[in-house]
Amino acid sequence: MSSSMNKYMFILGIVLLFHAAYSAAQHRSYLRLTEQEFTSLPADIVLQTIFSLLLAVFGVTMIAGEFKEIRSNIDLQKKTWKNLNNRPSFYTFNHRGHIFNPIAFSRSSSGKGALEAN
Amino acid sequence: MEKQYTHWEDVRDLLRNWREENCRQSEDVVDMWNDVLANHFGKLGDEGWLVLEQVFIAALDCHNMEVANFCLSKLNQEFPDSLRVKRLKAMKYEASEKYDHALDILDLIIKKDETNAASRKRKVTIYKSQGMIIEAIKELTDYLRIFMADQEAWMELCDLYISQQEWNKAAFCVEELMLHSPFNHLYLQRYAEIKYTQGGYENLEVARTYYSQAAKLNPKNVRALYGLMLTSVHMASNSKCPSQKKKESIKLSEWASNQLSQLQGSNDSKLFSSQILEGLGNLQIGNDSKN
Repeated sequence: MSSSMNKYMFILGIVLLFHAAYSAAQHRSYLRLTEQEFTSLPADIVLQTIFSLLLAVFGVTMIAGEFKEIRSNIDLQKKTWKNLNNRPSFYTFNHRGHIFNPIAFSRSSSGKGALEAN
Repeated sequence: MEKQYTHWEDVRDLLRNWREENCRQSEDVVDMWNDVLANHFGKLGDEGWLVLEQVFIAALDCHNMEVANFCLSKLNQEFPDSLRVKRLKAMKYEASEKYDHALDILDLIIKKDETNAASRKRKVTIYKSQGMIIEAIKELTDYLRIFMADQEAWMELCDLYISQQEWNKAAFCVEELMLHSPFNHLYLQRYAEIKYTQGGYENLEVARTYYSQAAKLNPKNVRALYGLMLTSVHMASNSKCPSQKKKESIKLSEWASNQLSQLQGSNDSKLFSSQILEGLGNLQIGNDSKN
């Protein structure tokens, strides 16, 4: 529910931001037509810009996903020695694994045939 | 096991998780491949090749040559010139204990591509599985001279040195690892364990420091807490220990054992664990340092 809310907030923010930009452009052209000096944008456009920017920023942060823990040891706390100490590139295969395999005895013969096939 | 994993997408996610988390689980991998994924290989897309490699290594680990052959031939069909597949072939020779064949292939790969780290590592394991630990160490130190940032290799070298009881060199390897990730409590714990094994008052003091840091980084690290308790008890009973530090050590050991009983109290085996802790305390103190 909240994720769709965030999406709407983000879209609303962007739309409002564009609207503010459009209003600012309109204001400038109005000033040019009436030949007035430009001093500053009207307060409502400025307010709308700031508000919509904040809304869009908030929305996009919430859409981007879960926040990560800023303390670096929190993620590391979940690591276990069992997985950390497991090194796939240093596996050796002459361990007791083959004893538990029911078809272990055919390993040398079948292994040879397949290697030659490759 | 894992009766709930019957849908191929679940299995794919599980295997992916295991690949990323570095779990060995070879038997389960092969079983799941046979039961579920083998029938849905086409749906895996590009990830399928990664899965095949994973299953292949797992099958070698269980010496299930049928599955291994299947995976290898599939990979070979898809990537006939790949050095990675050639390395897998070498691994298969290794598993069937034809080490010379494996070495030939690996040397060829390294000749073609000098930066092929994985093949260099396989050479180390070939020496290791033949029991030639000294040669394996030499090969691995040569490797580490080129690839200094390889944490896996430092860990392996550390274990090899430990098997040779070269504690100082093993400690050096873990120091290297700690530089790579200073907030990893497991490396700190490992370093403390090596120092504790070395023994002697100075080493115990170092071990205690590192155990404390490990326990600080992860208050639920039972092994670090046990280590902290044991080192501080040992230090308190050491004759070199000044009386000021003795008190400190006793306090620390009490704190650690409290921490442990709290941790274990939160599990169910309250009675059992408290008895063990008491027994450990009695065993370690032995003399009158605490009483």
